Amino acid sequence: MATPVPRPTRDGWWFLGAMICVIAAATNTGNNLLYLLSALLLGLFLVSGVLSERSRRGLRLCAVLPEEIYAGRAFTVGARLENVKRRRVSRSLAVETAEQRFYVARLAPGEARLLTWETTLPRRGRHRLTGARVTTRFPFGLVVKRSGLLLDDDVLVFPAVRPIGDAWRRRLAAGGPRPVRRRGRGHDLYNLRDYRPGDDRRMIHWRSSAKTGALVVRELEAETALDTRLVLVGDGARDPARFEAALSEAASLAAHLTRADAAVELIGPGLHVPAGRGRAHLRRLLSALALYEPAAAAAARSAPRPGVSDLEIALA
Amino acid sequence: MTLSAASALTVAVYLLVADGLAALVLGGLLAPASALVVGVAVVGSWWQASLRRRLAEVPRLGAALVTLAALAVTLEVLVIAPAMLEAFVHLLVFLLLIKLYTRRTLRELRDIAFLAFFMLVAVAPATTSVVFLGILIVFLVGGTWLLLLRHLMIEADSAAAPPLRVGRDLIGLSLAASAATIAITAVLFVIIPRVGQAALPLRSQASRMVSGFSDRVELGAFGEIEADAAVVMRVHLKDWQGAGGGRPETLPNLRWRGMALDAFDGRAWTVSRRTLRLTLRRQLPVPFAVHQYYGGPVLTQEIYLEPIGSDMVFAAPRVLRLHGRSDFVILDDLGNIAVPAPSARLNYTVESEPEPVDPRRANVADARVPPDPRWLARYTQLPDLAPRIADLAREITAGSEDHYEAATRLSMWLGRNLRYTRALQRTTDLPPLEEFLFVQRAGNCEYFAAALAVMARSRGIPARVVNGFQRGEWNPYGDYFMVRLRDAHSWVEVFVRGAGWITLDPSPRVGVETPVAAARSALWLDSLRLSWYRYVVTWSLHDQLSAAESVRRTTSSWTALAQRPWDAAALPRVALALLVGTAAVVALVRWRRGVSADGGPVMPRFYARALRALARRGLTPADGETAREFAGRATAVAGTPLVRLTGVYERVRFGSMALSAAEAAEVEAWVTALEKART
Repeated sequence: MATPVPRPTRDGWWFLGAMICVIAAATNTGNNLLYLLSALLLGLFLVSGVLSERSRRGLRLCAVLPEEIYAGRAFTVGARLENVKRRRVSRSLAVETAEQRFYVARLAPGEARLLTWETTLPRRGRHRLTGARVTTRFPFGLVVKRSGLLLDDDVLVFPAVRPIGDAWRRRLAAGGPRPVRRRGRGHDLYNLRDYRPGDDRRMIHWRSSAKTGALVVRELEAETALDTRLVLVGDGARDPARFEAALSEAASLAAHLTRADAAVELIGPGLHVPAGRGRAHLRRLLSALALYEPAAAAAARSAPRPGVSDLEIALA
Repeated sequence: MTLSAASALTVAVYLLVADGLAALVLGGLLAPASALVVGVAVVGSWWQASLRRRLAEVPRLGAALVTLAALAVTLEVLVIAPAMLEAFVHLLVFLLLIKLYTRRTLRELRDIAFLAFFMLVAVAPATTSVVFLGILIVFLVGGTWLLLLRHLMIEADSAAAPPLRVGRDLIGLSLAASAATIAITAVLFVIIPRVGQAALPLRSQASRMVSGFSDRVELGAFGEIEADAAVVMRVHLKDWQGAGGGRPETLPNLRWRGMALDAFDGRAWTVSRRTLRLTLRRQLPVPFAVHQYYGGPVLTQEIYLEPIGSDMVFAAPRVLRLHGRSDFVILDDLGNIAVPAPSARLNYTVESEPEPVDPRRANVADARVPPDPRWLARYTQLPDLAPRIADLAREITAGSEDHYEAATRLSMWLGRNLRYTRALQRTTDLPPLEEFLFVQRAGNCEYFAAALAVMARSRGIPARVVNGFQRGEWNPYGDYFMVRLRDAHSWVEVFVRGAGWITLDPSPRVGVETPVAAARSALWLDSLRLSWYRYVVTWSLHDQLSAAESVRRTTSSWTALAQRPWDAAALPRVALALLVGTAAVVALVRWRRGVSADGGPVMPRFYARALRALARRGLTPADGETAREFAGRATAVAGTPLVRLTGVYERVRFGSMALSAAEAAEVEAWVTALEKART
């Protein structure tokens, strides 16, 4: 990225004004001491440029972002500013974002500083962060130099995920949880195995431990709600607010069901995410919902499978 | 050791203010007494915070003060100040004091620094002193310090960071920035395009009035200045053409002619008449020879004259051409050159044809006594004199073959039989010259010169008295003559057929006065002053062109050298070039290594040192061996510090953690232990 052109500060404009006056006086009179003063101001300005350049160069700015960002929920953005120069100290740096300005007085060679701030993105979808840029007025505060380093990563904002409402809770409860032959956090015994450091001590099976002379722990079966297919109905064209709210509901349901270890499938007009479980699958669902745009095509719904319940969510 | 930034900043502000006031005093724009009063007011402003609180309780005090000051400044500009520059300076001082007493924020320090800077700007047209350079450097160092600290403090304030402490690194950075600025300033000053001749001060410095260099000189006028050691003139011998070798500074009889006087009334010498010849600006150098050229070697002198209160310009006798910057010059038929513009006398170049060493051998056809009888009458004019003076002259010159021998005999007689003294006494009512020759038998150079001129004239030899300066002291650091006020001197010019006007100096002053050589440091400082004058104050478009030509010539010579690098004569220069080139490449490579090529983490220096220390003991990491594996392998030899050092290394290099001061000290101790360990 091209380095932005340095811009004089207010002090810098004063300085340049004084310099122009003195140069004009020198040229007008031919007096060499005035030429000397002009050269002095010019020299100081050049040295200022060199020093600020030395301070600005050799920096690395990396974004440190959370894995999941939800619309309307504040999240922490981190910027890791590192001086990768071998010898030279960088001084008086500022990392400027749209909302905040962080000042780093001194960054030794090899030193890194993590700067964090909170921000909120109100809408789902792909967003570009407003950016953070390294600037410096070092050494004399005459010129602002902006680094080409920008924190302008693209981020995917998932739809807002909220606790599901009572109506949805009741509908889900109607299906009822049931054990599945998987390791999980249900109530039925799935397996016994040797204790490993880090295991929950409450899960130690004392009787078996006493018999074998070594600690044995219980593993439980997972319990899951009914595997669910979320069906988005409608095209969302009439009421955009309702459309967004519906996507948020779908995301909330997907999150809730995934936490309950249910397999979730997502279907909508122009949208299909096959059934799956777990956190990675939830990210797939949320990503699809984040990027979903209303489409005229109707959902290509396949016939319901046994043990899978359909939840219809009206887009508008 | 650290220092509070606020204290350091305050010191810097007051340093700049003191520097600005010193500049005003240097330029004569602020009288020392006024400077003292202003200085006290400035010092008082140190405690302005508590004073401001008290004054704030007085209603409308601020408005009243500003109104009063505005009225005072208006009155000053319109009525009191002798010139606009003075009014401007007074306004600057007033604003400075106001700012010092009312400052509240760090940002206002910028205004104070600007006001101090404009004091230097105001002084620039009013001085040529080398002290200005010192003032400029102090201002630069203080100003850099102020700008740096002010910026850091403003940033720290706005970020609500803890108060800034000033350490050695910041001081070093500021000094390095000042040094770099000085270097860049020097280059820029030389190359900034000029439009013509340099303008010299609009106001001449308070010049000392030197008696003896006007068109009427009483006998004994030099007495009061003869002991003054102030340097009044510096003569750089630029060129010596047609002499066929030899150094011009070894020329005998070299002196700096100022004013020739031809009429004597028994007590004072005067110029009988002036034949003016003016030359207008833009026609310089003077388009006609001041003195007729007799065909001998020509000595070019570049002269830097301090303001001494005389219109005369000084140069080696027989001036042929004058190069200067004056609107006009006044010449007369005595060879006197006057330049009315004070600034134009400060620097000029003169071409002279020095007198022949043996005038008898000279046979210049043009050097004949003009046929006009008034000419001879003018240079042999005498007042009523005691007959015994003429008798004495006749007695001394008896048997002389020509005028030159007669005049030389008179000069030698005076030098051998009379005594030089600066303590002039009058004990009789006799005319001064008669008392000098027959009663006191002692006097200063004016008496000797007057006696010789009068005695020569009494023998019909055309003669005139000349006032000027002796050659002065040679300064080897700058290759110029340093002429002091005490070198002011009188001598005689007699007309010798075939040789023209020849200098004779009857005064035995050289034998009486013990020359006091200046200390080396004084010579060096004076050469610095001349360099300042030559390369700064009078730097002009002509100098720029000369410098450019010199660079072009040097470049051509290096180009020629590149075509025949194995020439024996060129080998030292080739070796030097290779050395400088290699040093530059090494410096560049080292500089480039400052940032890792891929922008990735770089190896901390302490670990590199540790690796070097271990390598000296035969321990080096194998290919593909990690730092931790290497530490485990080398621990048996290097001991536990290496393991801990490796941990810190990983943390710094890959975890981008900075070391605290305590950790850095600990690491340093480990590395030093590794470096010192042997076997």
